[in-house]
Amino acid sequence: MRTRDVARGIGIVAVAAIVVLAATVAGGLLLSSPTNVGEAPTPDAYDTGSLDASPIASDGDVTAPDGESKTVVVDVSHGNDVSEDAIQPFVDALVESGHEVRFYGGASNTGIGAPTQSGSPFNETLRSADALVVVSPAATYDDDEAAGVEAFADAGGRVLLAADPPTTTTSDQPISIPGLDTGGSVSAAGQPTNLAGQFDVTFGNGYLYDMADNANNFQRVYASGDGGLADGVEDAILGGAVPLRTGPDASVALSVSDATLSSTRETGSYAVVARTGNVLAVGDTDVLTSGMATTGDNDAFASNLAAFLVTGDKQPGEPSNGGTDGQQPTGSGAMIGSAASAGSAGIVPAAD
Amino acid sequence: MVETPFGDNDTASARGVVQATTLVLLVVGLIVGVALAPQAWSYATQPDGNVAVVEIQGSITGETASGVVENLREARQNDSIEAVVLDVDSPGGTAAASEQLYLAVKRTAAEMPVVTSVTGTAASGSYYAAIPSEQIYVTPASVVGSVGVRATVPASGPVEGEVVTGPDKNSGSTEAEVYERVETLRRAFVGAVFAERGDRIDLTREEVSHAKVYSGAAGVENGLADEVGGVDTAVAAAADEAGLDDYRVTRMDAPQPSLLSQIGLSAEEAPDQPTTEQVFDYRGVDTVQYLMLHGTIRTTETETEVTANANA
Repeated sequence: MRTRDVARGIGIVAVAAIVVLAATVAGGLLLSSPTNVGEAPTPDAYDTGSLDASPIASDGDVTAPDGESKTVVVDVSHGNDVSEDAIQPFVDALVESGHEVRFYGGASNTGIGAPTQSGSPFNETLRSADALVVVSPAATYDDDEAAGVEAFADAGGRVLLAADPPTTTTSDQPISIPGLDTGGSVSAAGQPTNLAGQFDVTFGNGYLYDMADNANNFQRVYASGDGGLADGVEDAILGGAVPLRTGPDASVALSVSDATLSSTRETGSYAVVARTGNVLAVGDTDVLTSGMATTGDNDAFASNLAAFLVTGDKQPGEPSNGGTDGQQPTGSGAMIGSAASAGSAGIVPAAD
Repeated sequence: MVETPFGDNDTASARGVVQATTLVLLVVGLIVGVALAPQAWSYATQPDGNVAVVEIQGSITGETASGVVENLREARQNDSIEAVVLDVDSPGGTAAASEQLYLAVKRTAAEMPVVTSVTGTAASGSYYAAIPSEQIYVTPASVVGSVGVRATVPASGPVEGEVVTGPDKNSGSTEAEVYERVETLRRAFVGAVFAERGDRIDLTREEVSHAKVYSGAAGVENGLADEVGGVDTAVAAAADEAGLDDYRVTRMDAPQPSLLSQIGLSAEEAPDQPTTEQVFDYRGVDTVQYLMLHGTIRTTETETEVTANANA
């Protein structure tokens, strides 16, 4: 009897415990509210198929026409913001086609007593050249040099003037010595204003952009034109291009439509490449660089530029003002040509 | 006749016992009632719910974004929280963290009213976080906008004394790919702005993509913001949206990144004005940083320039 009573007591306790636990679980399941209800809303903006930017085709080669070997001088003597490395595809194309590319870094003898009676060494260099490339000079071309370039172009020499919006940057010069600071601590990528002005072209200020139709960035705008230098160029891609204003003697070769100028915020069609006789002004230097030269139709445009430079017919010995006829360049320029490897040619720093 | 076992005296005695027992039970009942009265009072006077004020302040990094996402999750899971007010004062931060905030706010807004109060700046990444809210309250001097993306690209090229297994191991991508990715992020950002607020914005996608910042007053005009009002107005609006007549406000503070992790340097080297790279970069390596950040990037060059100008 005693054992039965104990068993009954234990049974009652067990049943009661089970009932309480079952009621708790059931109550919890029934009454608790789920903490993470529903699915996360789908962000509509992330679903569109047009989200991924399309890569811009970057193929093709920059080429230059074969034929009579021409000498192309790239001026780096005016603090020009250009190097052989920067315009490698352009230089390579010219060299491959048998032309000669020289980087003119300025006269080697610029000290006191340097011969001045023979005129500007820059003009001397032009005498033996067929084409001149001037990119973003920091220093102004003096009157003598400007006259030399004009005479050079009049004699059939081809001139390419290229520039970006002017910039001012501080140099890496760590120490400035009081009294010896000649203002060289600030360098600028400028524009060949006085050279271009002689040929009815001026470079503008600010850059062109297009928020709607661009090559994956508002500053990378599409330029197009008709025939000539725009031959085969449907969409040249310029990066941060500067607009050109042209006079009556100049003709627009490439322009950007529906672009906005950063400085005025005015939208319209802007000329970016203009030609005046033997002189070509380009409002962008990126098209010559290895990063951009094959993007879009830039390879066709850069090839047209190379062809423009080496298809002139320049009278030898011009410009004749200053210097000795027939004298070879006395500048400390590096020569890149069929006899020299383009890849190993050194770059001469710009002379002050 | 049967005689009852108790006489009259016994009957009176039994009645007395009953009365005493009743009295004792009454007293016990009163005591129990008094003991439970505070709970009853509390129940009767408790607010209908809480409005949580979640701070999004300072630069948005992965660390700070995680804290805000955690706060928003807490707001969703806590039954007493019926509405959320975002207290935004941030110039933005990394693109990935800003997108995390956007998604977390969007999810919260799907479950309860979310209202934003711009107490300073809601630009770039922090504006991204605010756009799923039902309303954005600004003050005339607060700043909204800067819908845009930028990438800071470290100098590429092989590092001397380093061997890598692929051409892009250093930089991670080519320059063209960086342009593509920035453009993709811009499209997602601008697309999200128009998906959330397209019915209220009076600007075109191109105009929004200019990445201007607007004053609060201008933002109300062009639809980037909704109304002028302070944080209390935003709280009241959120409570109203949630149907709360009687509510309590709970503030969830913005997580502050530790200074050490913020600049990735030891305390001895901590500069007063860390560069942007130091704030957002990983320790020890330079990577392409995709930022939704308003303002001019602070670099060592700009530091040098400022110093040079000060000396001039």
